[in-house]
Amino acid sequence: MRFVIDHLAKRFGGKEVLKDISFGFESGKIYGLLGRNGAGKTTLFNCLNRDIRMDAGAFFLETEQGRRDVRPEDIGYVLSAPTVPEFLTAREFLKFFIDINEKTIPDLRPLDEYFELVSIEPEDRDKLLKDYSHGMKNKMQMLVNLIAKPPVLLLDEPLTSLDVVVAEEMKQLLRGQKEGRIILFSTHIMDLALDLCDEIVLLNHGILEEIDKANLDSQEFKQRIIAALREEDDHE
Amino acid sequence: MNRTLRLSFSLKNAYRVNSILYSLKQIPFLGRLFPDVLYQVRGLKIFANVLSVIWEIVSIFLGKLLYFLIMIAGAAALYERADQEAVFLHILFLLTMVGAFMNTYIFNPTRDKYYAMFLMRMNAREYTLIHYAYAILRVLIGFAVCAAVFGRMSGLAIWQCLLIPFFTVGMKLTAAAWYLYRYEKYEELPNENDMNRLSWILLGLFLAAAYGLPAMGIVLPEPVSTALMVLPILSGALSVKRILGFAYYREVYQLVLAQSAVQMDQAKKAAKTQANRYIAADTGITSSRKGYEYLNELFIKRHRKILWKSSLRIAAVCLVLTVAAVFGVCLSPEIRETANRMILTWLPYFVFILYSINRGTGFTTALFINCDHSLLTYSFYKQPAHILRLFRIRLREIVKINLLPAAILGAGLALLLYLSGGTQDVLNYVVLVISLPCMSIFFSVHYLTIYYLLQPYNAGTEIKSATYRLILMATYLVCFYLMRVQMSTLLFGVMTIAFSLLYSVIACVLVYRYAPKTFRLRN
Repeated sequence: MRFVIDHLAKRFGGKEVLKDISFGFESGKIYGLLGRNGAGKTTLFNCLNRDIRMDAGAFFLETEQGRRDVRPEDIGYVLSAPTVPEFLTAREFLKFFIDINEKTIPDLRPLDEYFELVSIEPEDRDKLLKDYSHGMKNKMQMLVNLIAKPPVLLLDEPLTSLDVVVAEEMKQLLRGQKEGRIILFSTHIMDLALDLCDEIVLLNHGILEEIDKANLDSQEFKQRIIAALREEDDHE
Repeated sequence: MNRTLRLSFSLKNAYRVNSILYSLKQIPFLGRLFPDVLYQVRGLKIFANVLSVIWEIVSIFLGKLLYFLIMIAGAAALYERADQEAVFLHILFLLTMVGAFMNTYIFNPTRDKYYAMFLMRMNAREYTLIHYAYAILRVLIGFAVCAAVFGRMSGLAIWQCLLIPFFTVGMKLTAAAWYLYRYEKYEELPNENDMNRLSWILLGLFLAAAYGLPAMGIVLPEPVSTALMVLPILSGALSVKRILGFAYYREVYQLVLAQSAVQMDQAKKAAKTQANRYIAADTGITSSRKGYEYLNELFIKRHRKILWKSSLRIAAVCLVLTVAAVFGVCLSPEIRETANRMILTWLPYFVFILYSINRGTGFTTALFINCDHSLLTYSFYKQPAHILRLFRIRLREIVKINLLPAAILGAGLALLLYLSGGTQDVLNYVVLVISLPCMSIFFSVHYLTIYYLLQPYNAGTEIKSATYRLILMATYLVCFYLMRVQMSTLLFGVMTIAFSLLYSVIACVLVYRYAPKTFRLRN
């Protein structure tokens, strides 16, 4: 399966944030999306999640049965600031989510098993989400997005504000979940991207381009990424 | 000193000019005509600067004119039997005493103070003193003019009118010095936006003394209040020294501004904590339903405090008032006659009453901040069929919540009409019983519809839609205006019923058509 973006463009007022995004993502891989502040990473994700309307272009899935449109349930989106309904307990949120999506969830399991997947302790499962810490909310958001097994998972800076233990747990979780799906992971932190991602994609001046790792060691690869981001800057 | 003066005023002005330009851009339709770079356009900037200066001058007088007109001269005129000059001074004296402590200017947590002292790191003492001197000067000028106008109209001598602004300023200075002294000695600070219980009680006592005593015929004699007004002028003069010599302004503002929500992020946080507080912590609350009904039931149960509980409380008040009115009508023939006449012509008044007791805005705010704000980031939640399904459920709930008080009022009015002598046309009863619930349904539909069609909030839970604000304001104005309309209950009732039904149908059609597109987080 491939997730293809075709000539996507978006402008705000007079500013062209996304000029011409075209790219094909392969399933089974984690893509690290790097870009400077204000490069448009979140805008790109918002367009893909249909939170904002794009001005031009399209995106679709290429499966063995052929090309098809992306349905809302095909996309999972985890934001950097975790958003969970605060008036529900973790268990209630999970139950609600499964109620709604039970037809599309493959191999449904008991709720507690899901909690174990992201190591949320039994005593925390019946607490209101408003009393959850940042990291725990993040786990819940990630969990809900994993259960539905959407073919495309967008992660916007998800590990940046987590403590080292939770961040490591989440990394393991993502590595374990990448089979059969496309994970697009935006971050500012290069080491994180290099550690977790299979491919590095740059978003710079409104265009996406892949940086080929070829035979470089990680130090050389870093230099190359930074050079690419700088170079583009000098063009302006 | 001179530099601080210049800088701080240009900072305040820049802030205001940018706010004016920002609001120009927010006007629906018209806003689109302005370019995106409007903050650079010279002509617009000059225009906004002119507005800013005009506002600076107008605001010296505007609030004070209203204050004198309504709170002092207007209120004094109500005590017809009392000596006008004495009542005027009596109220003025007592209100000024409270006002000096409640509004010190020096402790007002405002955004420009935060910008100047913390973001721009201006000298706190210099900045504070300059602005305080300016604020005091404005009080002096504003009060001099207002006291002259209203004082003379109430029959005071010119020298008494002249005394008023100096007395006011003296009180303000004294209060400020008193607070500064408290801080030096005990590190205590007043928080003007969040008064404690003692302050509320004192406020109540002073207000009662200002307005209650004259009603009982007790008024400070004119010579006494005049003499009392001289004292603060002396104490104010002495206070200047303390205010000038106070060494901890930066420290004080650190505390004052931290308590308040002037910082942008804090304002957001405050709204969120407020809404979060409404969530009942009782995890004994459960639901046996499924899917969206499950979500809805838990939402309603956990927000009982602002939804059902408050609706039931309002319903109880309506019931008590109705019973009281029934007694009144049964006991007194005069009340009977008035009630009968009022019920047959005052139905428009009830639009405003139902507007005031409607829980619609509280419901949609809680819906957004505690529920939709997070769930709208999940794609399953945004599927058109799901949006509409939840809309139906929510509409049903909010209609139910608001219906009870309206039904009690409707039935109560019909009963009162019957007991107060009745009417020839039986249709009047029917109209009363039906039209009030209809109005209530209208408001429920109205608030939920504009929420779904405009979804005014962004991810930071700020209202970003000027259209939404304008509609809320227009709703208020229309309801307020209707209070002055007198029309036969039959005619107005039938019109209301027809309007409410028509509006509800149109609103639902619009929601079904457009909400799947409009019900999104704003950027």
